[in-house]
Amino acid sequence: MLCVTLSGQAPQIPTATPGQAPPVDLSGYWSPVLHEDLTERGPGSEIADYGGFPLNEAGRLWALSYDSSRVTLRHHQCEAYLAPYQMRALGNFRIWEEREEHTQRLLAIHIWAQTTEGHRIIWMDGRPHPPAWAPHTFRGFSTGRFVGNALVVRTTHMKNGALRRGNGVPQSDQATLTESFVRHDDHLTNVTVVTDPVFLSEPMVRSNDFSRQPVDPGAWLYACDDGEQILDRPKDYVPHYMFGKQPFAREFAARYKLPLASSLLGGVTMYPELAARLRTVTNAEADTLLAPLGGRSPETSKGVDPEPHDGNIHIWPVRDNVYMLVGDGGNIVVQTGDQGAFVVDTGEGTMSEKVIAAIRTLTNQPIQFIANTTFRREHTGGNAALGAAGQDPSLPGSFFLVQSPRGVTGFFDDPLKHATMMAHVNVQVRMQAAGAPAGAVPADTYLDDRRRKFHNGDAIELFHQPNAVTDGDSLVHFRRADVIVAGDIFTTTQFPVIDVKSGGSVQGLIAALNDILERTVYRHQGEGGTYIVPGHGYLADEHEVVEYRDMVVIVRDRIKALIEAGATLQQVKAARVTADYDTQFGVNTGPWTTDMFIEAVYSSLKAAPAKR
Amino acid sequence: MKLGLTKAAVLLAVLLPLAFNVLVDAQRGGRGVPAAPPTPRAAAPFDLAGQWVSLITEDWRQRQFTPAKGDYVPLPLSPAARKIADSWDPAKDEAAGEQCKAYGAAGLMRLPTRIRIAWEDDTTLKLEADAGTQTRTFYFGAPQGSGGDWQGVSSATWDAPRAPFAGRGGGPSSGGSLKVVTTRMKPGYLRKNGVPYGTNAVLTEYFDRFDVPGGDSLLVVTSELVDTENLMTPYWTSQQFKRENGTTGWNPTPCSAR
Repeated sequence: MLCVTLSGQAPQIPTATPGQAPPVDLSGYWSPVLHEDLTERGPGSEIADYGGFPLNEAGRLWALSYDSSRVTLRHHQCEAYLAPYQMRALGNFRIWEEREEHTQRLLAIHIWAQTTEGHRIIWMDGRPHPPAWAPHTFRGFSTGRFVGNALVVRTTHMKNGALRRGNGVPQSDQATLTESFVRHDDHLTNVTVVTDPVFLSEPMVRSNDFSRQPVDPGAWLYACDDGEQILDRPKDYVPHYMFGKQPFAREFAARYKLPLASSLLGGVTMYPELAARLRTVTNAEADTLLAPLGGRSPETSKGVDPEPHDGNIHIWPVRDNVYMLVGDGGNIVVQTGDQGAFVVDTGEGTMSEKVIAAIRTLTNQPIQFIANTTFRREHTGGNAALGAAGQDPSLPGSFFLVQSPRGVTGFFDDPLKHATMMAHVNVQVRMQAAGAPAGAVPADTYLDDRRRKFHNGDAIELFHQPNAVTDGDSLVHFRRADVIVAGDIFTTTQFPVIDVKSGGSVQGLIAALNDILERTVYRHQGEGGTYIVPGHGYLADEHEVVEYRDMVVIVRDRIKALIEAGATLQQVKAARVTADYDTQFGVNTGPWTTDMFIEAVYSSLKAAPAKR
Repeated sequence: MKLGLTKAAVLLAVLLPLAFNVLVDAQRGGRGVPAAPPTPRAAAPFDLAGQWVSLITEDWRQRQFTPAKGDYVPLPLSPAARKIADSWDPAKDEAAGEQCKAYGAAGLMRLPTRIRIAWEDDTTLKLEADAGTQTRTFYFGAPQGSGGDWQGVSSATWDAPRAPFAGRGGGPSSGGSLKVVTTRMKPGYLRKNGVPYGTNAVLTEYFDRFDVPGGDSLLVVTSELVDTENLMTPYWTSQQFKRENGTTGWNPTPCSAR
């Protein structure tokens, strides 16, 4: 009777634990099998060997401009591998499961790679990926699920870095990685599919093979500390090659007796059609692949807009009691504690009521201080509303209050009705000149290079950055939390706004970016540690800043060289000096375009020739 | 006494499912009507059929172009194999009518090629490659043919991880790979520049399909070549193919020794 009942049921595969049981165990020690691409994975890849990579024009030019001596710069020395390349690296790998203690539900699968101490966490508990404004890491954020006998992993939020080691083939921070892991007895096949709208014309597919090791190989670390490798170089020096001037671009083809175009043609190099394509490429056409193609409009950014555009203000905890608020134009930072809130920048001002409401969820103390990194509207638009919503209880009865010039600010004599707003004096001057309402103008200004305040248990410093975006920019550094608010000196979304008419200059901007880098300390392998809140875009660390600094320096160098060769502004634009960065940062319409950036660099160099 | 009862209940809970399985198995395989096992074609955990194009993204130079003589890094070649590779002479191969030495089973899947996979019947898969106009046949069950040609004899199975308690001997879980073991190949080249494999080489391949969310379908062929005569260690590689809709690009070409 029992058997008759059971025979009518489909046999079930019992699981030993609640939740999804892994259909295959990937745990253990694994060593990469290096029977493919050994030259690249060992000694390193050759310059201009981009065959098999579906690079678009921006990707190819980025790679050709790359000078591998860039890794001698301090902030590049300890950079880790991005997740796709990490899986191709030499060294040992270890995979283990993390399970919830009481239910033994699978929470995550961890992968530790010896080289660059790459620790990947693949979340298996169904958690969502973070929002677009969340920080990026070299290994990104990964979630996984089992499909048949494969572990399928999706990774987002990776940093800019190398898709191939050593010869500049880039991967952008907009890339996503999809992987499968399939185990065949003691062999593991990992397939990586990189989709990168910035640098690739189609997905890049590779596979990595691993063999299982029965015992712990015992070597898991990869110590790295940066240091001075070449002394006395200017701080605004970034090794790179001018477009069309990469001196070794022809070596690879010559060494192996291949047509020059063979490794430069992008997507077609992956397919059987390559041979036929090469029969139609002339030498002249091959030469054009070494520099930007002429007669084209600048490409535009293929990146995801990190602004939510959903009518809401979103709070992202940065560290300790420091938060980033996203949603009202420029990023806003709030520091809380037992004193009033310290707010850096106030956004566009179109959603100030929601900004105030968001701050109320973080603290029941009033907004006491507002610091502005710039006078620009995306960062001061909410000054009046946020200021009016705050109060500064440190001022009533204060000696200084008696001295404050009534009528200059209109609010300084009633501190219980207004937060104190601070900025460099040039912010005040420019806002007043622009006719900003008195309640929106910072009254507590500083003139020299530094303003400091200890508040909510943290040392807060404002550092003036003369002639960067404007002549009144400040960095705001929360020293204990180790968070730097950069304003528009640094963004992850666009070419820098260099407002030459308001005192900005490309040299000042580079100096300001370097000043950020002078204050950062990474936590591990070139990432983490000091957080940088950009004026626009996602929460960053020093890696994003150094990549941005490199970009500004490289574009400046190109324009400077053209100016020295007698080029007009139109000729500079026609040279497409930003071609390798346009798919990251380019904009052709709106208040700040690629052309305007080029004009700003051009005019600031013409006004005051760049110094090295 | 109470504790004893609890233990008994736990034991029963553990043993009962095992007993069920044994009884169900016995009924299926013995007294009951035996369930006909599905054909290999019906049991396929994924669809292989169609046209696929190789994605040459690894060992690109050595695969898209014929490498120079002696360029065999990082193949784990034996000294004897190096000697053979160092004496590669494509003209000699052409004169001997052996232009297809690089198109045998052990080398074919790494060439720039399109492949077409189709079921010939319920137990036989056919794989055609336009490079060299080659055909491989994978037999489920007893291998057929005597081999000795470029493609040898290939036996196929569905290779799935075994789940405990799913049957007396363990049953397949969901998913799986197509496992193909090829032997009795005519000696050929792993690379077009004369890197040899021998008549006793055994090629084991795992075919896995990977459907990238929102995008392409990939066929990944992980292969292990064991050839004690020519290789110091097993030679592992994995090749990727992308599924194509339609037949565009299919371009059968003769073998080339160069």
